[in-house]
Amino acid sequence: MSTSSLRTLGLARLSAGGAAVWGAIALLLLVAFAVEPGLFVDQFVGGLVYGMTLVLIALGLSIILGLLGIVNFAHGALFMLGAYFTYQLMALWGLSFWIALVVAPLLVGLVGVAMERLVLQWLYDEPPLAGLLAAFGLALMIQEATRAIWGDTPLSVVTPAVLAQSADLAVTTVARVRLFSVVVAALVILAVYLLIERTDFGLSVRAGVQDREMAGFLGIDMPRRFVLMFFLGAVIAGIGGVLQGTAVGMNPTMGQQYIIITFVVVVVGGIGSLFGSVVAGLLIGEAVFLTPLVLRSLADVTGIGALAVPGIGGLVPYLVMILVLLVRPRGLYGQEGFME
Amino acid sequence: MSRDSTAGVLERVGAIDLGVWQVPLGLLAVAVLLRPVVSHDLMLGYPQVASSFLIWMIIVASFNLLMGYTGLISFGHAMFMGIGTYSVAIALSSLAVPFLLAAPLGILFSAGVAYLIGRLIAHKGEIYFAMLTLAFAKSAHFVANYNPGGLTGGTTGLADGTTPAWIETSRGFTYVVLGGFRIDWYWAVAAVFVVGLLLLWQLVRSPFGRTLVAVRENEALARSMGVNVRRYKVWAFTFAAAFAALGGVLLEINNQGATLSELSIVTSGNIIIMAVLGGANYFFGPLAGVFVWMFVEEYLTDFHTLVLPLTEVPLLRIELTGVLAYWQFFLGLLFVVAVLVSPREGVLGLAKATVARLSARIRGESE
Repeated sequence: MSTSSLRTLGLARLSAGGAAVWGAIALLLLVAFAVEPGLFVDQFVGGLVYGMTLVLIALGLSIILGLLGIVNFAHGALFMLGAYFTYQLMALWGLSFWIALVVAPLLVGLVGVAMERLVLQWLYDEPPLAGLLAAFGLALMIQEATRAIWGDTPLSVVTPAVLAQSADLAVTTVARVRLFSVVVAALVILAVYLLIERTDFGLSVRAGVQDREMAGFLGIDMPRRFVLMFFLGAVIAGIGGVLQGTAVGMNPTMGQQYIIITFVVVVVGGIGSLFGSVVAGLLIGEAVFLTPLVLRSLADVTGIGALAVPGIGGLVPYLVMILVLLVRPRGLYGQEGFME
Repeated sequence: MSRDSTAGVLERVGAIDLGVWQVPLGLLAVAVLLRPVVSHDLMLGYPQVASSFLIWMIIVASFNLLMGYTGLISFGHAMFMGIGTYSVAIALSSLAVPFLLAAPLGILFSAGVAYLIGRLIAHKGEIYFAMLTLAFAKSAHFVANYNPGGLTGGTTGLADGTTPAWIETSRGFTYVVLGGFRIDWYWAVAAVFVVGLLLLWQLVRSPFGRTLVAVRENEALARSMGVNVRRYKVWAFTFAAAFAALGGVLLEINNQGATLSELSIVTSGNIIIMAVLGGANYFFGPLAGVFVWMFVEEYLTDFHTLVLPLTEVPLLRIELTGVLAYWQFFLGLLFVVAVLVSPREGVLGLAKATVARLSARIRGESE
């Protein structure tokens, strides 16, 4: 899957039009960097952290969508639970961050397994709409339960001392916890890649993505793999939640906010392609943070104030998606004809 | 399909006279009975919300033209409703255009936007279509929030000067005043409701509507039989938007203005939930869904103590204030159960099946 995607990334396939577009984007970024270098690096790191969080949610979503054909709307709720479990473990039970980093995702994984066993497993053979709607209801339930247990007000946890300081990046300083998030997320992504691409287990899962029925005929225990992959997807989202909860904080609507953007990421990256999800997640994360800055510096340089549209960052992912889907309906790295 | 044809046969031999009149009479019954039922002491006890019920029924029924009849899932249906609401609010507050001109224009505008978007995206696969409607809805929300030219009022929405001169409000009730006559706002809405949904019903049972069902059931087969699937989807999308805007236009007067929440994704999600909850398979399904959703919302949020078996003979008192503040949890549960039992039947399908089973048992037929 992703070896072929890596090949398509090669510069040999880049057309003249593509080169012009990328050149223009690079030029705009250079202008923005020249105008405000400190802010640029700040926003770049912000976009990286955001993008990594999106990737962590998108991986599980993409695995579940590719393998089970279920649009798991409740995946954002699992992400949110990761953050709230961290709060429960750290702020209420007084455990250290490092324990929470391991335990909270596992708990989220168990919630994911419960979801799969109790509800979603009955919907594998139904049309995709049924799974989407059931997950929609589950998301609503988890969100309301979260409100009931932890309340409506935004919460946060105390960052551990090691991560509380700032790291010096010459033009600006960045909180260590954000860099830590990026590193953990990168490790998780690497681990998922190795699991899917380099192990027999991953091979059987990929066979299931290609043709679930045939893989079953060949003696692969598919239901067990479904549960395991659902667990894995929930754990990854949980890790994202722990990192987000520690670095930024949490509120009961964060699941809903993130799941929509994450769908955008999965669709832009191409449904069924993990590599596409990673690329699209980082792309959209950076676009959200850098577009306002680029527009602002462009407005400064050209003197046209109207270019700096306030709040454009939130709209960028959707514009990117509309553009990508109209030009290339399968997404950046999706298989042609898959769910089209 | 087979059930429809048997009904047709029965109609022809005169076994079921109600046949064609079932839906018009049902709509009239909903319009006439809704307010007395809602305002009964055992129910909500206050009639003011009844007009909102009817308006949301129009909106969710328009969505079901997409989901139930054509099999298209739009995550952005609130956008078309909101365009209707905002068009009228802008026309009244900034442009001094009379309501009766602004309302049809708003509906036309909404339909036009839907037609253009539909032309662009109607042929996309299920998930892609849903995501693209979401993206367009987000864009519409962004534009209204951005407040171009001070027209849309940004986050606060529009409230000043958004009520036409012939609307009077007193003690929470709204009246339409026309040349000396004073009609309750509810009856004005009820008239639009009956006419609007009758139009929608005619659309659904016309050859056009039947073709939409064919597209939903088997797109490849429909295409091979010469149906231009894309064009039918585009027009279904356009009509659904027009009816949603009709609801949105009424909502503008009902809520006295336009707020940003009318364009939000959450509202689109609620529309989907209401349609599925009621039963997307039935014309009256969305109406049932709106009733359940809004009734539960209104009822449970000011419901405090459950006294069993009766208030007069309290044997058991259960304090529920804390739990029922989170009524959406139970709604989510109901929703999950409804989808697990049958994704397209909803509460209306469940009720119909129960009635059928009971009547079969009463008549002594074996199941």
